[in-house]
Amino acid sequence: MARRAPRTQSVVRIPGLLLLEIALPITIVAVWWVASKGSQSLYFPPLSDIVDSFQRLWLFDHVRSDVIPSLRNLGLGYLAACALGIGLGLLLGAVHWLGDALSPVVEFLRAIPGVALLPLAIVLLGIEPSMRVAIICYGATWPVLLNTIDGVRSVDPVVRDVAACYRLPRRDRMLRIALPAAGPYIVAGMKTALSLGITLIVVSELMASTDGIGYVTLQAQRSFAATDMWAGILLLGILGYVLNLAFQGFENLALRWHHRMHQSIKGEG
Amino acid sequence: MMTSTLKESRSPLVRALMPGRPPATHRERRRSKRQARTVASQLVACLAAVLLWQIACSTGVVSSTSIASPVEVVRALGPLLRASSFWAALSDTLQTWALGLGLSILVGIPLGLLLGASFLGYRLTRFTIEFCRSIPAVALLPLALLLYGATPRMALVLVVFGSVWPILVQSVYGARSVDRVARDMAASYRIRRLDRVFRLLVPSAGPLMATGIRIAATMSLLLVIGAEVIGGAPGIGLEFQNYSQAGDIPAMFALVVVSAVLGLALNLGLQATERRVLSWHAVHRVPSQ
Repeated sequence: MARRAPRTQSVVRIPGLLLLEIALPITIVAVWWVASKGSQSLYFPPLSDIVDSFQRLWLFDHVRSDVIPSLRNLGLGYLAACALGIGLGLLLGAVHWLGDALSPVVEFLRAIPGVALLPLAIVLLGIEPSMRVAIICYGATWPVLLNTIDGVRSVDPVVRDVAACYRLPRRDRMLRIALPAAGPYIVAGMKTALSLGITLIVVSELMASTDGIGYVTLQAQRSFAATDMWAGILLLGILGYVLNLAFQGFENLALRWHHRMHQSIKGEG
Repeated sequence: MMTSTLKESRSPLVRALMPGRPPATHRERRRSKRQARTVASQLVACLAAVLLWQIACSTGVVSSTSIASPVEVVRALGPLLRASSFWAALSDTLQTWALGLGLSILVGIPLGLLLGASFLGYRLTRFTIEFCRSIPAVALLPLALLLYGATPRMALVLVVFGSVWPILVQSVYGARSVDRVARDMAASYRIRRLDRVFRLLVPSAGPLMATGIRIAATMSLLLVIGAEVIGGAPGIGLEFQNYSQAGDIPAMFALVVVSAVLGLALNLGLQATERRVLSWHAVHRVPSQ
């Protein structure tokens, strides 16, 4: 019971902490608003104008034509990368000799920056959405793959020996031992993959596209429509944050058993 | 110095190639045998991959107009490596990369340690840092282009914005991971502030800071090349664009190979440095078997 005491205290302190955390962002926005008021600069238009053009562009005029395609390509590429990374990772992690043999090839392919492949991907696949999906998939697969391999290999040797002694079927060993053990690793890899995927979708849209948030933003820059450009950057920032937040929620859900287990181990110790 | 890093290397390839005294114990012999087998399988896998690529190209499984075969790539590599424009581009890319990463480290580590060490600083900035970190840095490319045009400066701004956050966040975590008991002891012994920073804070935060730098290094390479490909700043990325406009597919593949080697070299270099600098830390100590 004594352990509970600090928790009730912290509940009381939460509003204060929350206030503390949002104080700085509010200050920054306020300073920006006031400082940019009446600004004649071509590059730094008043924040109020940016908000106006944000409303005009993104609520909800271009949602169907640009935001949805961006998110769809990102989603497809990301899911394909996760499936590929986890599947291959389970294989290469479980079959040691294969994983060892292929590690130089994997390291080499991983070291190619995704952006460097863009010009090639355009030659190969044109500026179709499928090209963007392919680039995202390529770039986002590696962190998932490498983390899955590490995760599968991190299975407690005792557990592995027990599974072997009881001659658990291969499928059970994969799904009930290797996959849960690799879970935290996989989620960490997926997190890196998500931020890589967001970067790559923006890059691919900036470079070669006819729709998408990045495309609209770059067009605005090219036509010196600074407020529209700022609105695009703002949307990309918000989108990045929201996607990361959503992933945090997924992580908490997917790894709840893991955190609970650790808590109970700590509690007993 | 060179030989000592090689001797310490844990890579089976390097160890297998290292001349040295023959392994003495039975266990060591078995281990070296296993390593030799691993290296052999790795070489076979690499050769098989290249061979498969070549066969796919020569049999026409993939169209030869859009995918270059390994033979063509090797042939294209020669003129590429002899061209002075390539080396100039490489040096531009590396300069921007190193300068950007260096600036990020210079800003991110002190600031991160400062914020992490103070409760108020951490709470005050947590949300802001989280938000800024999740903005994809490339989203700022149009702004950077507008401000600086297609210059190395534009690429530099982008790199710094992209790579400062991972370093900052990891330094904050690092400063917060200082052992409580050690901190209290330092306080009750009234150890000087300077010593507390350099003998307690920095060493405790070391591994996490190193992780941040590693993430930032990969990220900044991606951003430099991205800024060059899209924004047209001079460097490897612009070379890509030039060859792609000329329709020189083998040269483009050769550039991909070069950039992969570059990425690999940077990764390995950072890993080796990390292992050297943090060799005292438990994470890097090789367990004696």
